[in-house]
Amino acid sequence: MATLWRMLPVTTLTVRQFTGGRTARLIVALSLIPAIFAAIFAARPWGVTADEFLIELFRELIAPTLLPIVVLLPATAAFGDELEDGTLPYLLMKPVSRARLVLGKYAATLLVTIPALALGLAVTTVIASRAPEAGDLLRILAAMVGAAAVAAVLLGAVFLLVSLFIPRALLAGMVYVFAWESLLGRFLPGVEAVSSREYTLRVFTGILENDPSLATNAALTMGAVAVAALILAVWRLRRLQLA
Amino acid sequence: MSSDPAPAAAAPAAGLPGLPPGEEATIVLRRVAKWYGDVVAISELSFGVAPGVTALLGPNGAGKSTVLNMIAGLIAPSAGTVDVLGQRVRGQPGLYRSIGLAGEQEQLYGSLTGREFVRLNAILQKVPDAEGASERAIAAVDMGEAAGRAVGGYSKGMRQRIKVAAALVHEPKILLLDEPLNGTDPVQRASLIALIRRLGAEGKTVLVSSHVLSEVERFARNVLVIVNGKLAAAGDFRAIRERMDERDHIVRIRCSDSRRLAAALVADPSTRSIRMGTDGRLTAETDDVRGFSLLVTAVAKRDGVRLFEVQPVDESLASVFSYLVSG
Repeated sequence: MATLWRMLPVTTLTVRQFTGGRTARLIVALSLIPAIFAAIFAARPWGVTADEFLIELFRELIAPTLLPIVVLLPATAAFGDELEDGTLPYLLMKPVSRARLVLGKYAATLLVTIPALALGLAVTTVIASRAPEAGDLLRILAAMVGAAAVAAVLLGAVFLLVSLFIPRALLAGMVYVFAWESLLGRFLPGVEAVSSREYTLRVFTGILENDPSLATNAALTMGAVAVAALILAVWRLRRLQLA
Repeated sequence: MSSDPAPAAAAPAAGLPGLPPGEEATIVLRRVAKWYGDVVAISELSFGVAPGVTALLGPNGAGKSTVLNMIAGLIAPSAGTVDVLGQRVRGQPGLYRSIGLAGEQEQLYGSLTGREFVRLNAILQKVPDAEGASERAIAAVDMGEAAGRAVGGYSKGMRQRIKVAAALVHEPKILLLDEPLNGTDPVQRASLIALIRRLGAEGKTVLVSSHVLSEVERFARNVLVIVNGKLAAAGDFRAIRERMDERDHIVRIRCSDSRRLAAALVADPSTRSIRMGTDGRLTAETDDVRGFSLLVTAVAKRDGVRLFEVQPVDESLASVFSYLVSG
């Protein structure tokens, strides 16, 4: 632990803040929500196979709603909580580049979200596998975890950036998730092009259907947007004024 | 959004208010202003700070924290320049090796222990022996026993002390302390005052904000008085104090025979005026509080009047500052 503090102080501090507060508990609880649906399905399958159930669950619930919310919580809290409670000067007044501060916070966000999402998806898959006619569930699990991880990389960077501009970033993020990703993104063709859900599903389908170019192109686009968001976050942090 | 000025070399600081003659300035503010929309927080502020202890004195809301935050580079001035060790702080994180700030915010990382908090600051400051430096800083503020407890459970005084420990763990040349004695008990206060004096004597620049006049007297000779975002007075504390003492003071007296005492006091030249309220209390105006108080005691004793209360009523910092500004 002492070595971690020395090597990655900002990341270690932020993970401690997440695990010490309610953020980590909320993330784990939200990540396990699909497992409840899987348990209901396993108890009384409604005429679909476990494969079809999991794919549908990921497309309709996890990708558009749950996944963004799980990432939103720590990404907006990483800087947002410190801005709100006034502890950010303890980090800003250090001979540490702003880029390292942003990357440290970003790494902490990914460190708590990706394992929690992977755990939730694994538990969901295991429970769904108890239903009859379960097929290649391992492949579906790999596709879900892969797509969720890439989505976390994108959304983590974007929400972290938003928290440096908007005081109530969590609220703004919720509106975005429910209005844009969950509602408009499904029905308006134009919105799809700028929806994280669409790109997450491309990665998912690419892994699931063994189409590397589809998954890679989507992942690269998401990665590029994430890098741009992080560069903007560094720029913003350099100019931030703590009134 | 305002962009930051590029780092620049500082112009000579000689002659700036607050800077004793012949002393080299480590902090220089030139014509600094800060406004938020239509609200002007700081206006045309210029002063220099030399090594040693300097107090930033002013009533609540005067702009002390804004000034300290600008010196710390956390806020950019709307106009003017702030130089620390000859450089602009904003945009130069490397300069934070030489600056420590114990700010006004009470919140700390609640899940960390005091020791972890100070050590985190040492690690982020890239102190070679973070463990040793942390223990020394913790010992300097007498927090050895409580350092193993989570800071979330600390009292206000303990939070203040652990913040000071975190600010000085890397032994900075410039130490900025925003109301560090707030919430401390008399023993803790005496200990912190001794520490502030020692750091000043070691040649560090220690800028301490306070709104308590009697407190400042105990650790700083050099004082910057800020009122409504403007510099009201700067220089030697005693000289400022003498200037304060020249003004009229109001003293309230409650006694057994107000008429007799008032008649006796009004004849003395140190009494500028005296009036009796409906509740029988006397309100006197004098230019010499100490002499007047002795006179009241002597006259009361001579005339057989019992004194219940002799209280200067305008000794609040706000009234002193009002006088300084109007003077």
